[in-house]
Amino acid sequence: MKIQQQANTLVLSDITELNAANSSAFRDQARTALGEQCANVDIDLSQTRRVDSSGLGALISLQKTVCARGGSIRILRPTPIVSQILELTRLHRVFEIVGN
Amino acid sequence: MDVLLNCAVNTAAVPVLDRRRPAVLAPFLGESVLVHALAGLAAAGTRRVCLLPADRAEEFRPFVGRGNPWGLEIQLAPAGGPPPPEFATARAVLLDRLPQLPDQPLWESYPGWFAAQQALLPTVARQRVGMREVSPGVFVGLRSQVAADAQLLAPCWIGANVFVGPSAIIGPAAIVEDGSYVDAGAEISGSLLGPGTYAGSFTEIRGSFAAGSELLNLASGSVTEVTDRFLLGTVQPPAGGGGGWRRLFQLGRPSRARPVAADRTALTGGWGTTGERLEGNPGGSEPGRMPPAGL
Repeated sequence: MKIQQQANTLVLSDITELNAANSSAFRDQARTALGEQCANVDIDLSQTRRVDSSGLGALISLQKTVCARGGSIRILRPTPIVSQILELTRLHRVFEIVGN
Repeated sequence: MDVLLNCAVNTAAVPVLDRRRPAVLAPFLGESVLVHALAGLAAAGTRRVCLLPADRAEEFRPFVGRGNPWGLEIQLAPAGGPPPPEFATARAVLLDRLPQLPDQPLWESYPGWFAAQQALLPTVARQRVGMREVSPGVFVGLRSQVAADAQLLAPCWIGANVFVGPSAIIGPAAIVEDGSYVDAGAEISGSLLGPGTYAGSFTEIRGSFAAGSELLNLASGSVTEVTDRFLLGTVQPPAGGGGGWRRLFQLGRPSRARPVAADRTALTGGWGTTGERLEGNPGGSEPGRMPPAGL
């Protein structure tokens, strides 16, 4: 996973999988990188081929953290596979999705 | 009248339908495309049919038997082989559309395939044994259970042995095939839930074909394997098999299970495994004849 900071936004990209195998690491790395300066988080899921409920849980956990600070979280360019899972679980109504 | 029914259809635009079985055997309103085609040919006066499969010819016979349910005499040519000499003068028909829907191509796109089912739905539903029109455009099959507060929005097809849980919303334009289980709060619209498929609580299936744990987006053709069984999966038979004795035993003992669990047992008990077919008994609505779950 690649982590970049742009102004007050944290950009997470190069995520190929978001499932039980790496969701905890994803959440911990994102929280650590969030620090004090970043209010918003953009998660680029254009490379993501697998998502399961653990990965979705990590996204929701991160959103709660960000929202508690008054920030927002966006999902960028999700692959069709990710979009289908988000729609199946109705999370497309919870997250702001950009470039679907 | 004799017909050479060519089942070697071009599925380049709908490859998913041809993946696990020949596309003409894909689930289609409680049966398969082939079975509906045979019914249409029989209604048009055909007496003998020779099937010309492109491949996997051995999978055809359990679906069509000898043709008795339709009053047809059916022969099955070897895959890719020539038709029998007695069909030399027969009319050749390509199964790229159904006789009942001559203007509706089946294999040009996934939405087209789904639209064909929508178009044929009222006709088939009114002919199917045990299916009732509970409100205009809403059809519910034999032994299906629908929770009192579930919403069924027309047009809508609920097959046989289906369970629809509390607060679920089915329709508009939804087809739930035989033996499926729609859990509480789930929403299915503009979609098809394949035979023996479980849709989890509060899931939302729109514009898709869900079969087993696979989800096909009808518009984009994208296929996703859902790994979480509580979201989407195959309805499992009860552990230890499910015969009539097991169901009798369960009727006689005090129930400690939740009603939903008991319903699930009733749905699957006695079928053997989901997807098992009863050879030589085509044309009915027995759940055991369901095509296997999966796209």
